[in-house]
Amino acid sequence: MTKQIDLEAEIHRLLAEHDRIAEQGVTVQRRENVLVLGGEVESAQRRDEICRQITTRYPDLEIACDIGITRTQAPAEVEEIS
Amino acid sequence: MIRIAAVGDVHVDKDVVGRYRPALEELPDRADVLLIAGDLTRHGTVDEAKCFATEFGGLGVPVVVVLGNHDHQSDRQDDVTRVLTDSGITVLEGAATVLKIGGHRLGIAGTKGFGGGFKGACASNFGEREMKDFVGTAERYADALRDALRSVQVDALVALTHYAPVPETLAGEPLEIFAFLGCYQLGQAIDDAPTALALHGHAHHGSERGRTPGGVPVRNVAHPVIKQAYNVYQLLSGTVDTKDTQLANV
Repeated sequence: MTKQIDLEAEIHRLLAEHDRIAEQGVTVQRRENVLVLGGEVESAQRRDEICRQITTRYPDLEIACDIGITRTQAPAEVEEIS
Repeated sequence: MIRIAAVGDVHVDKDVVGRYRPALEELPDRADVLLIAGDLTRHGTVDEAKCFATEFGGLGVPVVVVLGNHDHQSDRQDDVTRVLTDSGITVLEGAATVLKIGGHRLGIAGTKGFGGGFKGACASNFGEREMKDFVGTAERYADALRDALRSVQVDALVALTHYAPVPETLAGEPLEIFAFLGCYQLGQAIDDAPTALALHGHAHHGSERGRTPGGVPVRNVAHPVIKQAYNVYQLLSGTVDTKDTQLANV
């Protein structure tokens, strides 16, 4: 795994600024031998593109992708505001 | 009674078209209006705006939105607004709209808002030109929201923003980025009007519920926070509804 100190910052910027990604809500956490990605995105294609771009930029990096796809079911409850 | 459906940060592009639609088709049975708290698109392009209009247009209930920071990414926000408006979607920026629902007048005032931070950790309008521009931008959006909220006489008043007006609904985000997620000036604007509910998005890892210093309920409706197609909030519970719009404001 790379020892690059600013790796998390560089990946955050890659995910926000890459013209095929534009995600600001993905978390990046370094474990001992793996980089864990978290958060939720709007489609499986976006999740897969995130992993593809990080792997392309950092080919030696091991990635664990825990990114979920945000659910879009109708709500079951109404909140009364008072 | 007024039922408001709300969501934010839907980031629509071609790959999302169709995902929300089954839940949206149920909207007329569940709510009177749909409010969307910005980040309608990924990059703010015209094509993405058309995808958003396809997914969220023609629902059988009014759709009222504000833009978010993503909707400004391509510097085409005016074109995005035009696409949405042409599709029958109301886009608010420093403006308000009034809907007559069940004999009640619902006012919605909206702005994108901006960052700047909250008490004890906020930026000041001081120093370099860049910093004064940053804080001045936040102040300008907050002033526009205040003016919009005060511009209508209604039975229930809702503030719709993308950026957060309070820090409570940011809980879960890193403290270091709170100043980029909202500003206290938006909360002040909301408290300077008889606001019943404030809705915002932007903070994907934030929390759902908070209150302004003046006690106005605040809800973060960012899609990753609410984890469903939309939330529904009920206002004016216990009031008498009528189809007679002449009774509005009684």
